Amino acid sequence: MAKILIVDDAEFLRLRISKMLIGGGHEVIEADNGAKGVSIYKSAKPDVVLMDITMPEMDGLAALKEIRAADPNARVVMLTALGQESVVIEAVKNGAKDFVVKPFQPERVLAAIDKALA
Amino acid sequence: MNVKFLNPFVEAAHEVLQAETGLALTRGDLILEKEAFRTDDVTVILGIIGQVEGNVFYSMTERTAIGLAERMMNEPFESFIELAQSGIAELGNVITGRASVKLSHNGYESTISAPTMLLGKGATISTLDFLRLVLPLNSECGSLGIHLALREGIQSHLKMAREETRFLAKHSAA
Repeated sequence: MAKILIVDDAEFLRLRISKMLIGGGHEVIEADNGAKGVSIYKSAKPDVVLMDITMPEMDGLAALKEIRAADPNARVVMLTALGQESVVIEAVKNGAKDFVVKPFQPERVLAAIDKALA
Repeated sequence: MNVKFLNPFVEAAHEVLQAETGLALTRGDLILEKEAFRTDDVTVILGIIGQVEGNVFYSMTERTAIGLAERMMNEPFESFIELAQSGIAELGNVITGRASVKLSHNGYESTISAPTMLLGKGATISTLDFLRLVLPLNSECGSLGIHLALREGIQSHLKMAREETRFLAKHSAA
């Protein structure tokens, strides 16, 4: 069982992923923007972060940088509708472990989490 | 409004709605609108900036929105509650995000805003000097109107100007 932080402004998506992860025996915590995600990461120290990109207050790429600056071993998986090569390259350069493009199959998210935990 | 921006959105809408709701879509008649947009019950609004710029609206009745949200969550909604609203906003976000990836494959890099949802019929949204291309997509749940008020962004013109300068420099040197 892993502790997983979902950072996404869409309540609908957080609920959908939470149900899936809790069903798989994981513990889930949530944040609805990048700034809250960084703050919760520092206090809760999750094993894996699932990070959206387009969010109000602080976007996911900025939050990825802040989390990795605070913890260079942080395992962050980007989960976004933006799959442009330039965005993927920037995320990977900044330490993202994987990149899942929406809409996604549940198995793809679970595989990305397993890969990040390995 | 450049029609070459339409196909990425149509393809993205088909793919995302199929994946999220299992619904098949049929295209209605394409309309070029000069007048301001009078909203239906539910409108999702996203901005696009970069080599393509402007706004995209997704318009539908509340009944259609509830039908789509029910299929996305696989649970019934008696009304258009916040969770259902979040699902419909996310639908607009994912269609637009996927369309922006397709646009990047055609040489137009862009990025999108977080979605905004406008609830209530009859509000007027003007896209000012942007013409609006409207395409209704019909399904079992009702009609989803995609409104595109887009044009090539200034970054696209700058890229063309740089290419032209390089071409002229090369040929004048020869």
